[in-house]
Amino acid sequence: MKIICTQENLKKAIFNCERVVAKKNTLPILNNILFETDNGGLRLSATNLEIGVSSKIGAKIEKEGKITIPAKVISNFINNLLSEDNISLEVVDNKLKIKSSKNKAIIMGIPADDFPLIPIKKNDHLLEISADKLKKALSSVLSAVALNESRQELTGINFIFNEEEISLAATDSFRLAEFKIKATEFTLNNEIYNNFIKENNNIIVPSNTIIELNRIISNDFNEKIKITIEESQIFFEIDGIKIVSRLIDGKYPDYKQIIPKEYKTKIIGDKSIIQNAIKLSSIFSSNNSSEITLKIDQENKKIFMLSANSETGENSTEVNFEITGVSQEIVFNSKYLLDGVNIISSSKIAILSNTELTPVAIKEVNEKTNEISEELIYIVMPVKN
Amino acid sequence: MTNEELWQATLGEIELLISKANFITWFKNTSILSKTNGHVVISVPNGFAKEWLENKYNLYILRTLKNLDKEIQSISCQITNKHKPSPLKTSENPVDAIIPPKRIIPSNNINSGQISPQSNLNPRYTFENFIVGGSNELAKAACFAVSQNLGHIYNPLFIYGGVGLGKTHLIQSIGNESIKNNSQLKIKYISSERFTSDLIDSIRSQKINKFKEDYQKIDLLIIDDIQFISGKEKTQEEFFHIFNYLYQLNKQIVLSSDRPPKAIQILEERLRSRFEGGMIADVSKPDLETRIAILQRKASLDNIEITNEALEFIAENITNNIRELEGALNRVAVSSQLTKELLDLDYTKKILSDIIASSIKKGINHKHILKVVSKFYEVDINDLIVKNRKQEIVKPRQIAMYLMREELHYSYPGIGSKLGGRDHTTAIHACEKITQILKTDEKLANDLKYIKEQLYLID
Repeated sequence: MKIICTQENLKKAIFNCERVVAKKNTLPILNNILFETDNGGLRLSATNLEIGVSSKIGAKIEKEGKITIPAKVISNFINNLLSEDNISLEVVDNKLKIKSSKNKAIIMGIPADDFPLIPIKKNDHLLEISADKLKKALSSVLSAVALNESRQELTGINFIFNEEEISLAATDSFRLAEFKIKATEFTLNNEIYNNFIKENNNIIVPSNTIIELNRIISNDFNEKIKITIEESQIFFEIDGIKIVSRLIDGKYPDYKQIIPKEYKTKIIGDKSIIQNAIKLSSIFSSNNSSEITLKIDQENKKIFMLSANSETGENSTEVNFEITGVSQEIVFNSKYLLDGVNIISSSKIAILSNTELTPVAIKEVNEKTNEISEELIYIVMPVKN
Repeated sequence: MTNEELWQATLGEIELLISKANFITWFKNTSILSKTNGHVVISVPNGFAKEWLENKYNLYILRTLKNLDKEIQSISCQITNKHKPSPLKTSENPVDAIIPPKRIIPSNNINSGQISPQSNLNPRYTFENFIVGGSNELAKAACFAVSQNLGHIYNPLFIYGGVGLGKTHLIQSIGNESIKNNSQLKIKYISSERFTSDLIDSIRSQKINKFKEDYQKIDLLIIDDIQFISGKEKTQEEFFHIFNYLYQLNKQIVLSSDRPPKAIQILEERLRSRFEGGMIADVSKPDLETRIAILQRKASLDNIEITNEALEFIAENITNNIRELEGALNRVAVSSQLTKELLDLDYTKKILSDIIASSIKKGINHKHILKVVSKFYEVDINDLIVKNRKQEIVKPRQIAMYLMREELHYSYPGIGSKLGGRDHTTAIHACEKITQILKTDEKLANDLKYIKEQLYLID
């Protein structure tokens, strides 16, 4: 193999692949990134046998070929290389020679023959979503994913596909985040999509895959992401980058039924105010349960965030929000409440509740129309007394 | 040949052809799904295995399968997600997508007295509330040093002493202190009797390896009343292995017993020598000042209002062990609560009169002592009384005198006259001599303990 490419392109491709390499494994080759020429370009691939990522960049091919290089070495090398224009890569005897105008390096590699084959999708894609929308959806729900592996299905993100919308959801059983992408935001591959949703429209994608995808699309992409699901695997494709992952086998809890249909009390106001009030109160909440109390006083038109702890003291912050509905006093775990407020991207926020024992919802408020947006909903359970 | 056997045979051959790492990576969780018309469908756990088996190992697999079954012409792979259904799933309530977080009640471990299920430690026992006196100074210092530097100073630490003198308190304090310093430590406090019964359970349920593994993970192992493993060979053997394993990893081991390792009967020599290899410290009976201090502390902890004279009276009269001491205090406290009387010296005397009197055992007299002593030393009872100074008689006679003094509170002239009209100075000498020897001679102390036990068995 002998090629020439820009440093920028190579850096990007390595960034996309480096995180996927396996941390612990039986096969040493899984620590490596595969470099191979592919139809007039250079393709880099990495996998840990759960997720596979490959990223294709433009390059001038002088001689075809392939090799695998330890991800750590190549990534450190490229990231520390001063900005240069072009880099030439050449494979000689299982070694990769890298040459820029000022720097030369030889990296020991492993022949590519034993590198796993990254699964390739057979059918056409299911749908296309704008990267921006998907990025927002993924970052909104990720904070609620369960880290504890005692319930496998909760360690992933649930996707439910319907004709009119796609719902993404995550829960660790104390709180739940759901993001709905409306049909207008995606383009369907009609025939395949209809067949698919008839068979099984409910899948769980491992959160590691989602974190990786989110990281890769965090660079600005104006393009659309193609999604394909087949044979217990999900494929994402964008701009020469392909991600494939297994799906989590299991039944996701039927969360839709716990989302209240209507609410007795609704408060609306600036996100930064409530964010600050929670942070202040959490200082004085007891270390173990981090309890803080939201007191909505309808008669006096006042809202307070309260906390008290026998060791540190107590705190009360007035929150200037608009109140509709009856008075309430609800105890929260401050961490769960703050997580919910943090994922709100609008400047105004709405908190909706029924009683001190039933789920409380946090939603965004459309800045132009001042209406509550239904796109994102974060449900948190009050602390039980 | 069933599909399963066929696949096992195939795997067996393939394993020889490729490296172990490759074999484990690609053939783990595979099986034959179906075999129809010479076409075999192999179930694989993920897409990577499917690609690899279909494209790289297809020839190996096909050739091997063909050797075993001539009809097989082709293979293909299919991804199956065959996870074991988690036990949670079946019992799952469909509405449990989200549940309220429970309020965590801040637990104040020191006061709650809850026994922690992992370590078995009772948080009530700490060094702070252990009262140090001359009798237990060394033991406490050793325990404290061990808790500050687990596994490196005195390993194993062996604490011995009579009942109710604070061994359990001390060794549990090591555990509680270590947990305070590093909550990640794996600590286990167990009595040797529990150890034995756990071992028996694990043998019965054929989980002996798990039993061993569990113990080998421990950073600090505390075994109380180790003398009870005496005579239990299998327990000793298993304990020996666990002991060695932990010792080699520099994990701390703390043992307690009612007697020194030498005096534990039927203990394998290799265990005995190991017990003696670390630090041995004893706790003995507390002196009067310590006893008063203990009573004062207990009275203030339990909010018992009692005069100092009354406390001194209890401390003077109940000398054997701390548990009895605390029991006596409880007794006067409870009865004064019932009668609403002031806890002073007279009242205490009245309440405790029967307990204190009972320490002179009813119905035991000098004849019983002579009988038991003569039986123990295998001498004739008359030899003890008549005048002679044979070496083998002198010692038993002195012990008999000592016991009459200690147990029956006889006067020295009285003791003399009971033993063939000897002079009271002979009795005084005998008692002093035995008291002196007892301080250094553990064998004699144990003999005496045995004699006393025999004495109380007489009815």
